[in-house]
Amino acid sequence: MTDTLTLSSVSKSFGGFRALDTVDFVARAGEVHALLGENGAGKSTLMNIACGLYAPDEGHVAIDGKTVRISGARDAAARGIGMVHQHFKLVPAFSVLENIMLFNPGRSPAEVAGKAQDLARQMGFEISLSDKAGTLGVAEQQRIEILKVLVAGARIIILDEPTAVLSPEEGRMLMGLVRKLAEAGSAVILVTHKLHEALHHSDRITVMRGGRKISETTPEGMDPASLTTLIVGEQIIEKPQLSKAVGPIEVELENVTLGGEAGRKGLVDVSFRVRRGEIYGVAGVSGNGQNELSAAIMGLSFPSSGRIGMNGLGDVSKRGPGYRRRHGLGCIPVDRYSHGLAGRISVTDNYAVNGAMAGAYGGWGFFKRGLAQAAAREAVAAYDVQGVRSLGQRAGLLSGGNAQKLVIAREFEGAPRVVLAHSPSRGLDVRAGAAVHERLRAARDRGAAVILISDDLDEIMLLSDRIGVLNSGRLTREFKAPAERGDIGAAMVSHE
Amino acid sequence: MSSTELTDTNHETVAVTPPATRLRMVPLLEVRQSVSERLRIGVYVVSLLVAAALSVALLAWSGVAPSDLGREIATTAFSSPRALGSVLVRTAPLVIAGLATAIAFRANFWNIGLEGQMILGAIFASAVAIYDIGPENGRVVTMALAACLGGMLWIAGPGLLKQRLGINEVITTLLLNYVAFNLLLHMVYGPWKDPVSAFPHTEQYETFERLPMLGWLNLNWALPLAVGLALILWWIMSFSRVGYLLDLMSSNARMAGAVGVPVAGLTVAAILGSGAVGGLTGFAISAGVEFRMTQDFFSGYLFSGVLIAFLGRNHPLGVVIVAFFMAVLLLVGQSLQVFFGVPFALVQLIQAIFITCVAASEFFLTYRMHWRQAA
Ligand SMILES: Nc1ncnc2c1ncn2[C@@H]1O[C@H](COP(=O)(O)OP(=O)(O)OP(=O)(O)O)[C@@H](O)[C@H]1O
Ligand SMILES: [Mg+2]
Repeated sequence: MTDTLTLSSVSKSFGGFRALDTVDFVARAGEVHALLGENGAGKSTLMNIACGLYAPDEGHVAIDGKTVRISGARDAAARGIGMVHQHFKLVPAFSVLENIMLFNPGRSPAEVAGKAQDLARQMGFEISLSDKAGTLGVAEQQRIEILKVLVAGARIIILDEPTAVLSPEEGRMLMGLVRKLAEAGSAVILVTHKLHEALHHSDRITVMRGGRKISETTPEGMDPASLTTLIVGEQIIEKPQLSKAVGPIEVELENVTLGGEAGRKGLVDVSFRVRRGEIYGVAGVSGNGQNELSAAIMGLSFPSSGRIGMNGLGDVSKRGPGYRRRHGLGCIPVDRYSHGLAGRISVTDNYAVNGAMAGAYGGWGFFKRGLAQAAAREAVAAYDVQGVRSLGQRAGLLSGGNAQKLVIAREFEGAPRVVLAHSPSRGLDVRAGAAVHERLRAARDRGAAVILISDDLDEIMLLSDRIGVLNSGRLTREFKAPAERGDIGAAMVSHE
Repeated sequence: MSSTELTDTNHETVAVTPPATRLRMVPLLEVRQSVSERLRIGVYVVSLLVAAALSVALLAWSGVAPSDLGREIATTAFSSPRALGSVLVRTAPLVIAGLATAIAFRANFWNIGLEGQMILGAIFASAVAIYDIGPENGRVVTMALAACLGGMLWIAGPGLLKQRLGINEVITTLLLNYVAFNLLLHMVYGPWKDPVSAFPHTEQYETFERLPMLGWLNLNWALPLAVGLALILWWIMSFSRVGYLLDLMSSNARMAGAVGVPVAGLTVAAILGSGAVGGLTGFAISAGVEFRMTQDFFSGYLFSGVLIAFLGRNHPLGVVIVAFFMAVLLLVGQSLQVFFGVPFALVQLIQAIFITCVAASEFFLTYRMHWRQAA
């Protein structure tokens, strides 16, 4: 096999912080290469260097054995490198074809359309080039992103955590596609936190930790446990622990009905109750009403009928987020970059919003930054948010896991009595995911009612005391833990 | 994280293997992820210096030697207390105009309707003066408040349309300028035509309907009003919860809404505040400079307001500083026009040079350049 992409002794620092330390990395044509490592290990930074978004401080990049200097995504594309970033970069108002053209300037629409259709057919999926990108689901958007780089002639394809936002089924389909790309002669680099993807769908595995490459191996002879040890340096085993003391009803949904976004199902007559000291897991294939349920609980959209009761408050279904949060609701939203954090402002300012709204830093005429900063400093330490080199640093620069910890630190401040967590370990490494789970259990054990919405059945089984299944916008079944995995799975996909 | 991937058309494409014999330095552009405050200020200052140098060169080319220019600036603006006084008189309404614009911009509301709001402010203030509303010793305060109300009413429509229906405020605020202008013409050619001179402007305000003099230089209360307003807004934007929440909202409005920040309320407050201060600008000119409502007292302020807010980085104190230099530029421009015959368009060109330089300097905040020896 030939070494298609070679990164040799690459180092990169950000303002004194060494994010990459003399890393070597090789990707070969025809292989799927999994890149693993903890949050903040430097995976995205390394791949950003490979695709020309960052310039390395030291070391160099070679393609087919020739040293190159890549200057930006366009240049990378011209050299056959294409990267699909975790946050998609499609223009929502543009059609699929226009988005592909945007990445392939100087070519005729007919040529691009023909090529895109050909490639899509080869990869085994259908696309409609005239659809607006904004109307597509995440899985489709991702395929457009992949098509975009393929049309540009990419032979080295970098996918940064591509399955983090996909349902397990969509994830499996993507793995099939990735294999096809490799068989067609491309080098595919798969950045992931999901061990089974590395174990079952890759040819080689590179593991990074703390900005260094610590291992390069093949999946043969590895198992999840040994791979975990390689990634985080220790064994992490999570075991279910059921609730010890369940109290009175804290939150209650009664026949909640909510229209979905265009073409979505929304919620139909959803009812369930969650008591103090229990974790209520909402299982289901994503796209079956999870987003609507979470918006209804957060107060971002109001149900068209039905009620949402919070202990001592009566019906809150027509109250906004401010009211609910003042009275003890804490939320970990599914997309931390859209509803959880404001990336362009500082860690302190992101943390301080609850305190500010509650008047902890002065009345409306004041914002005592010193106090806010002290509170943020304490929270960052207590919740082990790493990578904060200064509290004035922009929150957008935190790696995925640490951004999530910051959200949790803010949401758990003031010990909320109702906690909503929507796919809280998405994009997190094993250790960070386990830490989040531990926080949820701790919240339950101090008496909070926890609602966990997740399309990861393992996560649901691991944490929940009771489980409801969301299917086509309805809560079709309820289970009491411990339940049979197969029964829940069947309820998730049944078409009654 | 960075959204520049598709839009970075500025990337230099570097050849894979340039001739190894020549030593060549090639720039490698990298998207910056964060920008330190020091760099930001440095780049800003350098861009201002570049703009100043270009302006001086441009004037030299049109026949104003740098030494003449220096003398002209010195005599127009700084030679005597009187000269400085007239600069400051000119500065006051510019500060208020810049603040009106900056308030809206901070809330991501692109208020291009300053002139309309000024006109309504002046109409409301003049109505108080003409119909003798309220006691004489508080008349000027009543006029100021009425002006704020007028500006607020004029911006309320676009604000409502934006908030409720998502209608672009650039269009609505801009078009309402013309409606306001025709309303003004109707008033000064019709019911409010000056009965004394029969010219198309209102009758002169009584002494107690004008901003009182400070008794220092030729200054009246417009300047303390402007500076006081800037200080209050500085506090609100930099040290209050309101300013903090506005920052949060402009960084990510969806997140702000989800954590319970009253996004709609704060946005409406900022929009109305901008309109009120816009109305006050009209009052400051009518009651502080012209002593009546004329038919073109507002002209040019829309552009100046945007320019001052932009160059002042929407910071109230920045607005004060930029407004001062703007006043100097306008007065020096007038005397250059008289003594050197340069066209007034040159003054506008100089303003444009400053805007262009500062806007272009963003490039250096977006990208980092690595100079490398080509392989
Ligand atoms: N532009 C930047 N400025 C400052 N620090 C940065 C920048 N980009 C990344 N970092 C830091 O570098 C480290 C590596 O980040 P990187 O995004 O490469 O991690 P990662 O391995 O992709 O993590 P994750 O799995 O969470 O995505 C982190 O500590 C991060 O905070
Ligand atoms: Mg990453």
